[in-house]
Amino acid sequence: METQSTMNPALLEQARYFTVRDAHLYTVLHQVASPIARVLLVGPFASERHFSYHTWVRWARYLAARKIEVLRYDYRGIGESTGTFEDMGFETWSEDVQLLAEWFKKRSPNVPLMLHGLEIGAILAAQSFQMGVGDALLLWSPAASANQALRSSLLRWARLEQLFESPENRRSASDYIRQLEQGSVIEVQGYQWSSRLWRDSSHCHLPDNIGDGGALCKVNNKPVRSIRFGKDPSSVAMPYARYDEVKELGGLYSLSFDWITEALKESTGGHNERSD
Amino acid sequence: MKEAIKSRELIVLDGVDVIIRGTYHKICEQNPGLQSNGVTKDRIGVLFLNGFMATRASNGDAAVYWADSFAKLGYPSFRLDLPGYGDSDENPPLEWLNFINLGGYATIASAKMRELVTRYNLAGVIIAGHCAGAVSAIYAAAAGRECKGLVLLDPYFHFQKTVRSKIRRRLNLWTWQSRVGGFLSSIYNVLKEIRLALRRNTAPENANVPLLRCWKELASSGLPILILKAPVRKTPGMKPRIGEFDYLGYALRLAGRMSRVVVKVADGADHSFANRLGRDAVRVHAEQWLGEYFPIGSWKEEGAIALYPERPNKIGMKIASCV
Repeated sequence: METQSTMNPALLEQARYFTVRDAHLYTVLHQVASPIARVLLVGPFASERHFSYHTWVRWARYLAARKIEVLRYDYRGIGESTGTFEDMGFETWSEDVQLLAEWFKKRSPNVPLMLHGLEIGAILAAQSFQMGVGDALLLWSPAASANQALRSSLLRWARLEQLFESPENRRSASDYIRQLEQGSVIEVQGYQWSSRLWRDSSHCHLPDNIGDGGALCKVNNKPVRSIRFGKDPSSVAMPYARYDEVKELGGLYSLSFDWITEALKESTGGHNERSD
Repeated sequence: MKEAIKSRELIVLDGVDVIIRGTYHKICEQNPGLQSNGVTKDRIGVLFLNGFMATRASNGDAAVYWADSFAKLGYPSFRLDLPGYGDSDENPPLEWLNFINLGGYATIASAKMRELVTRYNLAGVIIAGHCAGAVSAIYAAAAGRECKGLVLLDPYFHFQKTVRSKIRRRLNLWTWQSRVGGFLSSIYNVLKEIRLALRRNTAPENANVPLLRCWKELASSGLPILILKAPVRKTPGMKPRIGEFDYLGYALRLAGRMSRVVVKVADGADHSFANRLGRDAVRVHAEQWLGEYFPIGSWKEEGAIALYPERPNKIGMKIASCV
Protein backbone atom coordinates (compact mmCIF):
# COMPACT_ATOMS: atom_id res chain seq x y z
CA MET A 1 0.00 0.00 0.00
CA GLU A 2 1.18 3.50 -0.72
CA THR A 3 0.03 6.92 0.22
CA GLN A 4 -1.53 8.89 -2.61
CA SER A 5 0.68 11.63 -3.92
CA THR A 6 -1.07 14.86 -4.87
CA MET A 7 1.83 17.22 -4.79
CA ASN A 8 2.77 19.11 -7.87
CA PRO A 9 6.55 19.52 -7.52
CA ALA A 10 6.33 22.85 -9.30
CA LEU A 11 4.43 24.26 -6.37
CA LEU A 12 6.41 25.50 -3.44
CA GLU A 13 5.28 25.42 0.15
CA GLN A 14 7.33 27.38 2.60
CA ALA A 15 6.84 27.03 6.33
CA ARG A 16 8.20 30.03 8.21
CA TYR A 17 7.85 31.92 11.48
CA PHE A 18 6.43 35.43 11.35
CA THR A 19 7.41 37.55 14.31
CA VAL A 20 4.70 39.40 16.21
CA ARG A 21 4.74 40.96 19.67
CA ASP A 22 5.89 38.31 22.22
CA ALA A 23 5.40 35.39 19.82
CA HIS A 24 6.09 33.83 16.46
CA LEU A 25 3.29 32.81 14.12
CA TYR A 26 3.68 29.59 12.19
CA THR A 27 2.87 30.31 8.55
CA VAL A 28 2.84 28.23 5.39
CA LEU A 29 3.06 30.08 2.11
CA HIS A 30 1.81 28.17 -0.92
CA GLN A 31 3.94 30.03 -3.35
CA VAL A 32 2.94 30.59 -6.96
CA ALA A 33 4.85 32.24 -9.79
CA SER A 34 2.93 35.25 -11.14
CA PRO A 35 -0.22 34.66 -9.09
CA ILE A 36 -3.56 36.01 -10.29
CA ALA A 37 -4.60 36.62 -6.69
CA ARG A 38 -3.66 35.97 -3.09
CA VAL A 39 -5.82 34.39 -0.40
CA LEU A 40 -5.17 34.65 3.32
CA LEU A 41 -6.77 31.70 5.12
CA VAL A 42 -8.01 32.61 8.59
CA GLY A 43 -8.67 29.36 10.41
CA PRO A 44 -11.17 28.20 13.01
CA PHE A 45 -10.77 28.26 16.78
CA ALA A 46 -8.12 26.29 18.66
CA SER A 47 -10.18 23.21 19.41
CA GLU A 48 -11.27 22.97 15.77
CA ARG A 49 -7.72 23.15 14.37
CA HIS A 50 -7.19 19.45 14.78
CA PHE A 51 -10.27 18.57 12.72
CA SER A 52 -10.03 21.25 10.07
CA TYR A 53 -6.34 20.97 9.23
CA HIS A 54 -6.55 18.54 6.35
CA THR A 55 -9.43 20.42 4.73
CA TRP A 56 -7.52 23.69 5.02
CA VAL A 57 -4.28 22.28 3.57
CA ARG A 58 -6.08 20.65 0.66
CA TRP A 59 -7.97 23.87 -0.07
CA ALA A 60 -4.72 25.85 -0.04
CA ARG A 61 -3.21 23.41 -2.54
CA TYR A 62 -6.34 23.47 -4.68
CA LEU A 63 -6.03 27.24 -4.99
CA ALA A 64 -2.25 27.21 -5.50
CA ALA A 65 -2.66 24.74 -8.36
CA ARG A 66 -4.94 27.36 -9.98
CA LYS A 67 -2.43 30.18 -9.72
CA ILE A 68 -3.73 31.67 -6.49
CA GLU A 69 -1.06 32.16 -3.85
CA VAL A 70 -2.17 31.19 -0.36
CA LEU A 71 -0.96 31.97 3.11
CA ARG A 72 -2.26 29.90 6.01
CA TYR A 73 -1.15 30.14 9.62
CA ASP A 74 -1.71 29.21 13.25
CA TYR A 75 -2.95 31.87 15.65
CA ARG A 76 -0.74 33.03 18.49
CA GLY A 77 -0.62 30.41 21.26
CA ILE A 78 -2.09 27.65 19.08
CA GLY A 79 -0.64 24.75 17.10
CA GLU A 80 2.85 25.43 15.80
CA SER A 81 2.83 29.11 16.75
CA THR A 82 4.51 30.13 19.97
CA GLY A 83 2.91 31.92 22.91
CA THR A 84 0.65 30.73 25.68
CA PHE A 85 -2.94 30.15 24.67
CA GLU A 86 -4.29 31.42 28.00
CA ASP A 87 -2.58 34.78 27.52
CA MET A 88 -4.16 35.36 24.11
CA GLY A 89 -7.57 36.66 23.11
CA PHE A 90 -9.63 37.89 20.19
CA GLU A 91 -7.71 41.16 20.04
CA THR A 92 -4.37 39.44 19.55
CA TRP A 93 -5.85 36.99 17.05
CA SER A 94 -7.42 39.87 15.14
CA GLU A 95 -4.04 41.58 15.12
CA ASP A 96 -2.56 38.39 13.61
CA VAL A 97 -4.97 38.70 10.66
CA GLN A 98 -4.10 42.33 10.03
CA LEU A 99 -0.33 41.89 10.32
CA LEU A 100 -0.27 38.92 7.98
CA ALA A 101 -2.63 40.54 5.49
CA GLU A 102 -0.37 43.58 5.44
CA TRP A 103 2.74 41.44 4.86
CA PHE A 104 0.99 39.37 2.20
CA LYS A 105 -0.33 42.39 0.33
CA LYS A 106 3.13 43.95 0.27
CA ARG A 107 4.54 41.00 -1.71
CA SER A 108 3.01 42.60 -4.80
CA PRO A 109 0.46 45.30 -4.11
CA ASN A 110 -1.14 45.07 -7.54
CA VAL A 111 -2.33 41.49 -7.06
CA PRO A 112 -5.78 41.38 -5.40
CA LEU A 113 -5.91 40.01 -1.87
CA MET A 114 -8.84 37.98 -0.66
CA LEU A 115 -9.58 37.07 2.95
CA HIS A 116 -11.12 33.68 3.61
CA GLY A 117 -12.28 32.83 7.12
CA LEU A 118 -13.74 29.71 8.68
CA GLU A 119 -15.91 29.74 11.84
CA ILE A 120 -14.28 32.22 14.29
CA GLY A 121 -11.77 32.94 11.55
CA ALA A 122 -14.71 34.19 9.47
CA ILE A 123 -15.51 36.78 12.12
CA LEU A 124 -11.90 37.93 12.40
CA ALA A 125 -11.51 38.08 8.62
CA ALA A 126 -14.80 39.99 8.26
CA GLN A 127 -13.81 42.50 10.91
CA SER A 128 -10.52 43.21 9.12
CA PHE A 129 -12.34 43.40 5.80
CA GLN A 130 -14.75 45.91 7.28
CA MET A 131 -11.75 48.05 8.17
CA GLY A 132 -10.62 48.03 4.55
CA VAL A 133 -8.23 45.04 4.48
CA GLY A 134 -8.53 42.90 1.31
CA ASP A 135 -10.36 43.15 -1.99
CA ALA A 136 -12.91 40.35 -1.44
CA LEU A 137 -14.14 38.21 1.43
CA LEU A 138 -15.17 34.56 1.51
CA LEU A 139 -16.70 33.05 4.64
CA TRP A 140 -17.26 29.38 5.42
CA SER A 141 -19.55 28.59 8.30
CA PRO A 142 -19.39 32.03 9.87
CA ALA A 143 -20.61 32.23 13.45
CA ALA A 144 -22.71 35.27 14.38
CA SER A 145 -20.39 35.83 17.31
CA ALA A 146 -17.32 34.20 18.76
CA ASN A 147 -19.48 33.23 21.71
CA GLN A 148 -21.77 31.23 19.41
CA ALA A 149 -18.75 29.38 18.02
CA LEU A 150 -17.36 28.68 21.49
CA ARG A 151 -20.75 27.41 22.67
CA SER A 152 -20.96 25.16 19.66
CA SER A 153 -17.47 23.71 20.32
CA LEU A 154 -18.24 23.33 24.00
CA LEU A 155 -21.49 21.52 23.29
CA ARG A 156 -19.78 18.98 21.01
CA TRP A 157 -16.94 18.46 23.45
CA ALA A 158 -19.22 18.11 26.50
CA ARG A 159 -21.32 15.49 24.69
CA LEU A 160 -18.21 13.51 23.93
CA GLU A 161 -16.87 13.87 27.47
CA GLN A 162 -20.12 12.54 28.90
CA LEU A 163 -19.52 9.24 27.17
CA PHE A 164 -16.37 8.67 29.18
CA GLU A 165 -17.62 9.81 32.57
CA SER A 166 -19.51 7.85 35.14
CA PRO A 167 -23.13 9.07 35.58
CA GLU A 168 -22.33 10.88 38.84
CA ASN A 169 -19.45 12.82 37.26
CA ARG A 170 -21.17 13.74 34.03
CA ARG A 171 -21.50 17.45 33.37
CA SER A 172 -23.50 19.19 30.71
CA ALA A 173 -22.39 22.09 28.55
CA SER A 174 -24.51 24.40 30.75
CA ASP A 175 -22.53 23.28 33.81
CA TYR A 176 -19.31 24.29 32.08
CA ILE A 177 -20.82 27.60 30.94
CA ARG A 178 -21.89 28.30 34.51
CA GLN A 179 -18.32 27.67 35.66
CA LEU A 180 -16.99 30.11 33.06
CA GLU A 181 -19.52 32.72 34.09
CA GLN A 182 -18.49 32.30 37.71
CA GLY A 183 -14.89 33.09 36.83
CA SER A 184 -13.41 29.58 36.64
CA VAL A 185 -11.19 28.13 33.96
CA ILE A 186 -12.33 25.06 32.05
CA GLU A 187 -10.37 22.81 29.75
CA VAL A 188 -11.69 21.99 26.28
CA GLN A 189 -9.75 19.66 23.97
CA GLY A 190 -6.58 20.49 25.88
CA TYR A 191 -7.04 24.29 25.78
CA GLN A 192 -7.67 26.33 28.91
CA TRP A 193 -10.70 28.56 28.42
CA SER A 194 -10.69 31.45 30.85
CA SER A 195 -13.72 33.45 31.92
CA ARG A 196 -12.08 36.44 30.21
CA LEU A 197 -12.04 34.57 26.91
CA TRP A 198 -15.69 33.65 27.39
CA ARG A 199 -16.69 37.22 28.30
CA ASP A 200 -14.77 38.72 25.38
CA SER A 201 -16.29 36.23 22.95
CA SER A 202 -19.67 37.96 23.38
CA HIS A 203 -18.18 41.20 22.09
CA CYS A 204 -16.57 39.64 19.04
CA HIS A 205 -19.26 39.74 16.33
CA LEU A 206 -19.63 39.29 12.64
CA PRO A 207 -20.21 42.84 11.33
CA ASP A 208 -23.93 43.54 10.82
CA ASN A 209 -23.69 44.07 7.09
CA ILE A 210 -21.84 40.79 6.42
CA GLY A 211 -22.82 37.17 6.36
CA ASP A 212 -26.55 36.53 6.15
CA GLY A 213 -26.95 32.79 5.54
CA GLY A 214 -25.60 31.84 2.15
CA ALA A 215 -25.66 35.43 0.99
CA LEU A 216 -23.80 37.33 -1.64
CA CYS A 217 -23.34 40.95 -0.79
CA LYS A 218 -21.04 43.93 -1.13
CA VAL A 219 -19.23 45.82 1.58
CA ASN A 220 -17.48 49.04 0.64
CA ASN A 221 -18.35 48.04 -2.93
CA LYS A 222 -16.23 44.85 -2.60
CA PRO A 223 -17.67 41.33 -3.06
CA VAL A 224 -18.50 39.10 -0.10
CA ARG A 225 -19.73 35.50 -0.13
CA SER A 226 -20.86 33.51 2.86
CA ILE A 227 -21.40 29.75 2.75
CA ARG A 228 -23.09 27.88 5.57
CA PHE A 229 -23.32 24.14 6.12
CA GLY A 230 -25.89 21.91 7.79
CA LYS A 231 -29.66 22.05 7.82
CA ASP A 232 -30.02 24.68 10.50
CA PRO A 233 -28.69 28.03 9.22
CA SER A 234 -28.14 29.32 12.75
CA SER A 235 -25.83 26.45 13.76
CA VAL A 236 -22.09 26.47 13.21
CA ALA A 237 -21.80 23.25 11.20
CA MET A 238 -18.36 22.52 9.78
CA PRO A 239 -17.62 21.45 6.21
CA TYR A 240 -15.41 18.59 7.37
CA ALA A 241 -16.02 15.35 9.27
CA ARG A 242 -14.84 15.48 12.87
CA TYR A 243 -13.51 11.95 13.16
CA ASP A 244 -12.90 8.78 11.22
CA GLU A 245 -13.47 9.81 7.65
CA VAL A 246 -11.99 12.16 5.10
CA LYS A 247 -14.90 14.04 3.56
CA GLU A 248 -15.12 14.68 -0.15
CA LEU A 249 -15.02 18.44 -0.49
CA GLY A 250 -14.48 18.77 -4.24
CA GLY A 251 -17.92 20.36 -4.68
CA LEU A 252 -17.29 22.99 -2.02
CA TYR A 253 -13.83 23.77 -3.38
CA SER A 254 -15.09 24.18 -6.90
CA LEU A 255 -18.09 26.30 -5.82
CA SER A 256 -15.82 28.55 -3.78
CA PHE A 257 -13.21 28.78 -6.52
CA ASP A 258 -15.85 29.72 -9.11
CA TRP A 259 -16.99 32.53 -6.86
CA ILE A 260 -13.40 33.67 -6.31
CA THR A 261 -12.81 33.95 -10.06
CA GLU A 262 -16.02 35.96 -10.42
CA ALA A 263 -15.07 38.19 -7.51
CA LEU A 264 -11.62 38.70 -9.02
CA LYS A 265 -13.12 39.79 -12.31
CA GLU A 266 -15.14 42.38 -10.42
CA SER A 267 -12.23 43.64 -8.39
CA THR A 268 -9.84 43.82 -11.35
CA GLY A 269 -12.36 44.91 -13.94
CA GLY A 270 -12.13 41.56 -15.76
CA HIS A 271 -8.37 41.46 -16.28
CA ASN A 272 -7.76 38.13 -14.54
CA GLU A 273 -8.69 34.88 -16.17
CA ARG A 274 -9.20 31.44 -14.78
CA SER A 275 -6.05 29.47 -15.31
CA ASP A 276 -7.33 25.91 -15.52
CA MET B 1 9.77 35.45 7.95
CA LYS B 2 12.33 32.95 9.25
CA GLU B 3 12.87 29.23 9.49
CA ALA B 4 14.31 29.24 12.99
CA ILE B 5 13.61 30.97 16.25
CA LYS B 6 15.48 30.68 19.53
CA SER B 7 13.92 27.43 20.67
CA ARG B 8 12.64 25.84 17.45
CA GLU B 9 13.45 25.31 13.82
CA LEU B 10 11.22 24.29 10.94
CA ILE B 11 12.85 21.44 9.10
CA VAL B 12 12.43 19.60 5.83
CA LEU B 13 13.77 16.06 5.47
CA ASP B 14 14.08 15.17 1.81
CA GLY B 15 15.93 11.86 1.84
CA VAL B 16 14.66 8.73 0.04
CA ASP B 17 12.70 10.97 -2.34
CA VAL B 18 10.06 11.75 0.25
CA ILE B 19 9.72 15.26 1.62
CA ILE B 20 8.75 15.37 5.27
CA ARG B 21 8.12 18.61 7.16
CA GLY B 22 8.61 18.94 10.85
CA THR B 23 9.68 20.97 13.83
CA TYR B 24 12.97 20.63 15.67
CA HIS B 25 12.98 21.69 19.33
CA LYS B 26 16.49 22.79 20.16
CA ILE B 27 18.09 21.95 23.45
CA CYS B 28 18.09 24.70 26.01
CA GLU B 29 20.81 27.33 25.71
CA GLN B 30 20.76 28.07 29.41
CA ASN B 31 21.62 24.50 30.28
CA PRO B 32 25.39 24.53 30.88
CA GLY B 33 27.41 22.25 28.66
CA LEU B 34 24.64 21.84 26.13
CA GLN B 35 24.96 22.90 22.53
CA SER B 36 22.05 24.57 20.83
CA ASN B 37 23.36 25.35 17.39
CA GLY B 38 21.73 22.38 15.72
CA VAL B 39 24.75 20.13 16.23
CA THR B 40 23.84 17.92 19.13
CA LYS B 41 26.75 15.54 19.18
CA ASP B 42 26.17 12.20 20.82
CA ARG B 43 22.82 13.10 22.25
CA ILE B 44 19.75 10.99 22.28
CA GLY B 45 16.90 12.66 20.42
CA VAL B 46 13.18 12.19 20.85
CA LEU B 47 11.08 11.71 17.72
CA PHE B 48 7.29 12.10 17.87
CA LEU B 49 5.15 10.28 15.32
CA ASN B 50 1.58 11.33 14.47
CA GLY B 51 -1.40 9.75 16.18
CA PHE B 52 -4.32 8.84 13.94
CA MET B 53 -5.60 11.90 12.02
CA ALA B 54 -3.53 14.23 14.19
CA THR B 55 -1.06 16.86 13.05
CA ARG B 56 2.44 16.81 14.46
CA ALA B 57 1.24 19.15 17.23
CA SER B 58 -1.07 16.33 18.41
CA ASN B 59 -4.43 16.85 20.14
CA GLY B 60 -4.52 20.10 22.09
CA ASP B 61 -0.91 20.76 20.99
CA ALA B 62 0.26 18.27 23.62
CA ALA B 63 3.23 17.09 21.53
CA VAL B 64 4.50 20.68 21.30
CA TYR B 65 4.44 20.84 25.09
CA TRP B 66 6.29 17.54 25.51
CA ALA B 67 8.88 18.36 22.86
CA ASP B 68 9.54 21.73 24.48
CA SER B 69 9.92 20.06 27.88
CA PHE B 70 12.28 17.31 26.72
CA ALA B 71 14.40 19.80 24.76
CA LYS B 72 14.73 21.94 27.88
CA LEU B 73 16.09 18.88 29.67
CA GLY B 74 18.69 18.36 26.94
CA TYR B 75 17.01 15.89 24.58
CA PRO B 76 16.72 17.41 21.11
CA SER B 77 13.16 16.70 20.04
CA PHE B 78 11.57 16.36 16.64
CA ARG B 79 7.97 16.29 15.52
CA LEU B 80 7.31 15.15 11.96
CA ASP B 81 4.26 15.01 9.72
CA LEU B 82 4.43 11.60 8.08
CA PRO B 83 2.89 11.23 4.59
CA GLY B 84 -0.85 11.85 4.78
CA TYR B 85 -0.63 13.92 7.97
CA GLY B 86 -0.61 17.68 8.62
CA ASP B 87 1.65 19.59 6.24
CA SER B 88 2.90 16.52 4.38
CA ASP B 89 2.70 16.45 0.59
CA GLU B 90 0.50 13.38 0.43
CA ASN B 91 -3.13 12.49 0.91
CA PRO B 92 -3.83 9.78 3.50
CA PRO B 93 -4.02 6.22 2.18
CA LEU B 94 -7.54 5.00 1.50
CA GLU B 95 -7.49 2.38 4.26
CA TRP B 96 -5.52 4.60 6.58
CA LEU B 97 -5.87 2.72 9.86
CA ASN B 98 -5.18 -0.62 8.22
CA PHE B 99 -2.16 0.90 6.53
CA ILE B 100 -0.84 1.96 9.95
CA ASN B 101 -1.75 -1.30 11.65
CA LEU B 102 0.18 -3.27 9.05
CA GLY B 103 3.30 -1.17 9.48
CA GLY B 104 2.78 1.09 6.46
CA TYR B 105 4.87 3.87 7.99
CA ALA B 106 7.75 1.67 9.17
CA THR B 107 10.05 2.20 6.21
CA ILE B 108 9.58 5.94 5.89
CA ALA B 109 9.68 6.61 9.65
CA SER B 110 12.88 4.60 10.08
CA ALA B 111 14.48 6.30 7.05
CA LYS B 112 13.64 9.71 8.48
CA MET B 113 14.96 8.62 11.87
CA ARG B 114 18.29 7.77 10.19
CA GLU B 115 18.26 11.13 8.42
CA LEU B 116 17.82 12.91 11.74
CA VAL B 117 20.61 10.91 13.35
CA THR B 118 23.00 11.87 10.55
CA ARG B 119 21.97 15.50 10.28
CA TYR B 120 22.07 16.22 14.01
CA ASN B 121 24.87 13.80 15.02
CA LEU B 122 22.59 11.97 17.38
CA ALA B 123 23.65 8.85 19.26
CA GLY B 124 20.19 7.46 18.70
CA VAL B 125 16.52 8.25 18.89
CA ILE B 126 13.67 7.49 21.27
CA ILE B 127 10.47 7.16 19.28
CA ALA B 128 7.30 8.39 20.93
CA GLY B 129 3.82 7.79 19.59
CA HIS B 130 0.23 8.05 20.71
CA CYS B 131 -2.37 5.37 19.90
CA ALA B 132 -1.90 4.64 16.16
CA GLY B 133 1.35 6.61 16.44
CA ALA B 134 2.49 4.04 19.01
CA VAL B 135 1.82 1.28 16.48
CA SER B 136 3.93 3.09 13.88
CA ALA B 137 6.60 3.63 16.53
CA ILE B 138 6.89 -0.11 17.23
CA TYR B 139 7.21 -0.96 13.54
CA ALA B 140 9.69 1.88 12.94
CA ALA B 141 11.81 0.80 15.91
CA ALA B 142 11.99 -2.70 14.52
CA ALA B 143 13.06 -1.37 11.14
CA GLY B 144 15.94 0.79 12.33
CA ARG B 145 18.88 0.24 14.65
CA GLU B 146 18.99 3.96 15.49
CA CYS B 147 15.99 3.56 17.77
CA LYS B 148 17.22 3.19 21.36
CA GLY B 149 13.91 3.25 23.17
CA LEU B 150 10.16 3.70 22.87
CA VAL B 151 7.57 5.83 24.63
CA LEU B 152 4.12 4.47 23.82
CA LEU B 153 0.94 6.28 24.84
CA ASP B 154 -2.09 3.99 24.91
CA PRO B 155 -0.74 1.55 22.33
CA TYR B 156 -3.09 -1.12 20.99
CA PHE B 157 -2.27 -4.52 19.62
CA HIS B 158 -5.38 -5.39 17.68
CA PHE B 159 -7.11 -4.37 14.47
CA GLN B 160 -9.69 -1.69 15.06
CA LYS B 161 -12.73 -0.78 13.07
CA THR B 162 -12.35 2.71 11.61
CA VAL B 163 -16.03 3.42 11.26
CA ARG B 164 -18.69 1.87 13.45
CA SER B 165 -22.13 1.35 12.03
CA LYS B 166 -24.79 3.91 12.98
CA ILE B 167 -26.77 1.29 14.86
CA ARG B 168 -23.70 0.29 16.85
CA ARG B 169 -22.94 3.90 17.74
CA ARG B 170 -26.51 4.54 18.83
CA LEU B 171 -26.52 1.36 20.88
CA ASN B 172 -23.30 2.42 22.59
CA LEU B 173 -24.72 5.83 23.35
CA TRP B 174 -27.86 4.27 24.77
CA THR B 175 -25.93 1.91 27.05
CA TRP B 176 -23.91 4.86 28.36
CA GLN B 177 -26.86 7.14 28.89
CA SER B 178 -29.68 4.96 30.18
CA ARG B 179 -29.91 2.81 33.30
CA VAL B 180 -31.52 -0.11 31.48
CA GLY B 181 -28.90 0.13 28.78
CA GLY B 182 -26.16 0.21 31.40
CA PHE B 183 -27.61 -2.86 33.09
CA LEU B 184 -27.87 -4.83 29.85
CA SER B 185 -24.36 -3.71 28.93
CA SER B 186 -23.08 -5.10 32.26
CA ILE B 187 -24.70 -8.49 31.54
CA TYR B 188 -23.16 -8.46 28.06
CA ASN B 189 -19.76 -7.71 29.59
CA VAL B 190 -20.06 -10.60 32.04
CA LEU B 191 -20.82 -12.94 29.13
CA LYS B 192 -17.77 -11.61 27.33
CA GLU B 193 -15.68 -12.21 30.46
CA ILE B 194 -16.84 -15.82 30.55
CA ARG B 195 -15.97 -16.26 26.90
CA LEU B 196 -12.52 -14.77 27.55
CA ALA B 197 -11.96 -17.10 30.51
CA LEU B 198 -12.83 -20.07 28.31
CA ARG B 199 -10.24 -18.94 25.77
CA ARG B 200 -7.54 -19.10 28.48
CA ASN B 201 -5.52 -16.08 27.46
CA THR B 202 -5.28 -16.96 23.80
CA ALA B 203 -5.23 -13.81 21.71
CA PRO B 204 -8.57 -13.22 19.93
CA GLU B 205 -9.03 -13.18 16.16
CA ASN B 206 -8.59 -9.42 15.96
CA ALA B 207 -5.01 -9.64 17.32
CA ASN B 208 -2.49 -7.75 15.20
CA VAL B 209 -0.09 -10.65 14.77
CA PRO B 210 2.58 -8.82 12.70
CA LEU B 211 2.66 -6.04 15.29
CA LEU B 212 2.86 -8.47 18.19
CA ARG B 213 5.75 -10.22 16.44
CA CYS B 214 7.63 -6.95 16.10
CA TRP B 215 6.84 -6.09 19.69
CA LYS B 216 8.14 -9.43 20.92
CA GLU B 217 11.40 -9.03 18.99
CA LEU B 218 11.97 -5.55 20.37
CA ALA B 219 10.85 -6.04 23.94
CA SER B 220 12.56 -9.38 24.45
CA SER B 221 15.84 -7.91 23.15
CA GLY B 222 15.85 -5.54 26.12
CA LEU B 223 14.97 -2.29 24.37
CA PRO B 224 13.87 0.18 27.04
CA ILE B 225 10.16 0.83 26.57
CA LEU B 226 7.84 3.08 28.53
CA ILE B 227 4.12 2.49 28.16
CA LEU B 228 1.74 5.11 29.47
CA LYS B 229 -1.89 4.22 29.86
CA ALA B 230 -4.84 6.51 30.33
CA PRO B 231 -7.22 5.15 32.98
CA VAL B 232 -10.30 3.42 31.63
CA ARG B 233 -13.71 4.13 33.15
CA LYS B 234 -14.90 1.47 35.64
CA THR B 235 -11.51 -0.28 35.51
CA PRO B 236 -8.83 1.22 37.70
CA GLY B 237 -5.19 0.42 37.05
CA MET B 238 -3.86 -1.23 33.93
CA LYS B 239 -6.69 -3.63 33.27
CA PRO B 240 -8.79 -3.19 30.13
CA ARG B 241 -12.53 -2.63 30.15
CA ILE B 242 -14.57 -5.50 31.49
CA GLY B 243 -15.08 -8.11 28.82
CA GLU B 244 -12.16 -6.96 26.70
CA PHE B 245 -9.07 -9.06 26.16
CA ASP B 246 -6.07 -7.85 28.16
CA TYR B 247 -3.74 -7.13 25.26
CA LEU B 248 -1.30 -5.21 27.40
CA GLY B 249 -0.94 -8.11 29.81
CA TYR B 250 -0.53 -10.43 26.84
CA ALA B 251 2.15 -8.17 25.32
CA LEU B 252 4.01 -8.05 28.63
CA ARG B 253 4.02 -11.83 28.81
CA LEU B 254 5.35 -11.98 25.26
CA ALA B 255 8.12 -9.55 26.19
CA GLY B 256 9.61 -12.09 28.56
CA ARG B 257 11.93 -11.82 31.54
CA MET B 258 14.77 -10.00 29.80
CA SER B 259 12.54 -7.15 28.75
CA ARG B 260 12.80 -3.65 30.15
CA VAL B 261 9.23 -2.53 29.73
CA VAL B 262 7.88 -0.05 32.25
CA VAL B 263 4.13 0.51 32.40
CA LYS B 264 2.64 3.53 34.16
CA VAL B 265 -0.90 4.76 34.48
CA ALA B 266 -1.22 8.46 33.69
CA ASP B 267 -3.70 9.43 36.37
CA GLY B 268 -6.28 11.96 35.27
CA ALA B 269 -5.47 11.56 31.59
CA ASP B 270 -8.06 10.97 28.93
CA HIS B 271 -7.20 8.92 25.87
CA SER B 272 -5.88 11.97 24.00
CA PHE B 273 -3.50 12.85 26.88
CA ALA B 274 -4.19 16.45 25.83
CA ASN B 275 -5.79 17.53 29.09
CA ARG B 276 -3.59 19.25 31.64
CA LEU B 277 -3.37 16.25 33.98
CA GLY B 278 -2.66 13.90 31.09
CA ARG B 279 0.07 15.94 29.48
CA ASP B 280 1.74 16.61 32.83
CA ALA B 281 1.61 12.91 33.74
CA VAL B 282 3.25 12.02 30.43
CA ARG B 283 5.95 14.65 30.93
CA VAL B 284 6.74 13.59 34.49
CA HIS B 285 6.83 9.84 33.76
CA ALA B 286 8.76 10.25 30.53
CA GLU B 287 11.33 12.60 32.07
CA GLN B 288 11.86 10.21 34.94
CA TRP B 289 12.25 7.31 32.52
CA LEU B 290 14.62 9.25 30.23
CA GLY B 291 16.73 10.19 33.24
CA GLU B 292 16.94 6.58 34.31
CA TYR B 293 17.71 4.92 30.97
CA PHE B 294 19.28 7.75 28.97
CA PRO B 295 20.89 10.13 31.46
CA ILE B 296 22.29 13.31 29.96
CA GLY B 297 26.07 13.48 29.90
CA SER B 298 26.69 9.82 30.47
CA TRP B 299 25.42 8.48 27.20
CA LYS B 300 28.83 7.67 25.75
CA GLU B 301 30.60 6.80 28.99
CA GLU B 302 28.56 4.75 31.33
CA GLY B 303 24.95 5.53 30.59
CA ALA B 304 22.35 3.72 28.63
CA ILE B 305 24.71 2.61 25.91
CA ALA B 306 26.42 0.40 28.45
CA LEU B 307 23.08 -0.78 29.73
CA TYR B 308 21.83 -1.28 26.26
CA PRO B 309 24.58 -1.90 23.71
CA GLU B 310 24.22 -1.52 19.96
CA ARG B 311 21.06 -3.27 18.83
CA PRO B 312 21.63 -6.36 16.75
CA ASN B 313 20.74 -5.94 13.12
CA LYS B 314 18.56 -9.01 13.17
CA ILE B 315 15.53 -7.02 14.25
CA GLY B 316 15.93 -4.71 11.30
CA MET B 317 16.32 -7.75 9.08
CA LYS B 318 13.18 -9.27 10.46
CA ILE B 319 10.96 -6.30 9.79
CA ALA B 320 10.18 -7.74 6.39
CA SER B 321 8.71 -10.81 8.01
CA CYS B 322 6.85 -8.71 10.57
CA VAL B 323 5.07 -6.50 8.07
